[in-house]
Amino acid sequence: MSGVAIWGVGTSRFGRQPDESPASLAWKAVLEALADAGTDSVDAVWVGTCFGAPGTAQRALHAAGITEVPIVTVENACASGTTALHEASEAVRTGRYERVLALGIEHLTSTFAGAIEPEQGDTEGASGMALPSIYAMSAARYVAEHGVTHEQLAAVAVKNSRHGALNERAMRRGELTVEQVLGSRMVADPLTLLQCCSLSDAAAAAVLGPPRDEPRDVRIRSSVLRSGALWDQRTDHVWGYEIVRETASAAYEQAGIGVADVDLFEVHDAFTIGEIVTTEALGLAPEGEGAALLDSGTTALGGSTPVNPSGGLLARGHPLGATGLAQTAEITWQLRGEAGPRQVEGARIGVVETMGGGVSGIDGNGAVVAVLEG
Amino acid sequence: MSAPDTSLSPDPRPQIEEGPSGAQVSGSLCGACGYAVALERPRCPVCHADRLEPRRFGPGGTVWSSTVVRIPVAGRTPPYTLAYVNLDENGPRILAHVIGSDAAPAVGARVRLTGVGADGDAEVEAA
Repeated sequence: MSGVAIWGVGTSRFGRQPDESPASLAWKAVLEALADAGTDSVDAVWVGTCFGAPGTAQRALHAAGITEVPIVTVENACASGTTALHEASEAVRTGRYERVLALGIEHLTSTFAGAIEPEQGDTEGASGMALPSIYAMSAARYVAEHGVTHEQLAAVAVKNSRHGALNERAMRRGELTVEQVLGSRMVADPLTLLQCCSLSDAAAAAVLGPPRDEPRDVRIRSSVLRSGALWDQRTDHVWGYEIVRETASAAYEQAGIGVADVDLFEVHDAFTIGEIVTTEALGLAPEGEGAALLDSGTTALGGSTPVNPSGGLLARGHPLGATGLAQTAEITWQLRGEAGPRQVEGARIGVVETMGGGVSGIDGNGAVVAVLEG
Repeated sequence: MSAPDTSLSPDPRPQIEEGPSGAQVSGSLCGACGYAVALERPRCPVCHADRLEPRRFGPGGTVWSSTVVRIPVAGRTPPYTLAYVNLDENGPRILAHVIGSDAAPAVGARVRLTGVGADGDAEVEAA
């Protein structure tokens, strides 16, 4: 039987973890994923990390006795983990390897004291742009163009905080109100602090292999990776919209599904505006109408298509390399019916979406959309 | 705090020169497809033609979006205002610092390039 299945997943906790090393976080994720998969070894490993030191992957893996197999480290900004998932999936699908470990590792709090800044070799980095201000530019444009209110922006953080309160591995566990979100200090107009993800440390992993006779396995129906087109004066779309739209469209087509077939999503909500724009790019709402999904409760747990039941990047945390595999773990648990208090009843098809960026002049360094089926 | 480390030359920010009508971005225009770009490119990234010709853009432009940065950023003193500006006559979209105002200019507002600031940034002000 051809195809690719997720045999097992695992993650560390998410948060500021000064007493953990990148390696010790990875051990938790890897050992949980291997046990979950019912296997003790793999044939190859793809590792996503954005700011990890050279050798981060081997440093973590040899201590757990994963040696001698090919280990490949990939970097794609916020999509580094999902890029590792995509490459692992392709390696299994094409028959290159049988059992492949996809691992994401990031220890941001030992790397940054404040907001992540683009490279100084980029226009944005050299001009004093931090990542939050890149998204603030999107938010300001979107607010002016589509009339979205600051309360609607804040509603993303409120919804995802309610979800995160149900996730014992999440970084932020407290439920937020619109007043709290808008009352937190301004980072870059119009985004306030609680509309931005926090620096965090974590690892997450998945073991992939060919489909087997195991009811807990989750099929990867499709996985697509794209880099961004030029982003310049020719577009009025905010940064990161078109790359996600094109990647999602290709992933749906390869899976032979439409957006209406998807029961739940884990998407890239590093900043509140990101979830609104991304849900539009994924086809959940027409362009400019993404905030209506929050008003109606469509994308909240209990709604018809929950988005970020884990709490998303805003509540679970956003350790860049680990994020994509944490999203994958959440969808896997949901499709198995193992998501506990945040279970989406009857979930059969789930989508993972991550968009990483920072390089000047392009619409994102990379985006991955994967369609999973339980 | 010190100025940003731009020792990794060339400077990745738009190069500004004084033209007859004021400050202008010194960029390129593709002779094949008309694509305007502010920064150095080895060929036209849109049509791939090897016909990039030097061209100056501005000083007039329209704000595509803007924000006020209120958090610490290396080498900078917050708050400061940034804008993506589409330069006139199908010129490039550039990132510039907005001077002369503490508030972010509205989307669609008219601005004018004034030159290069002390930190080496392209600067605009309300037109």
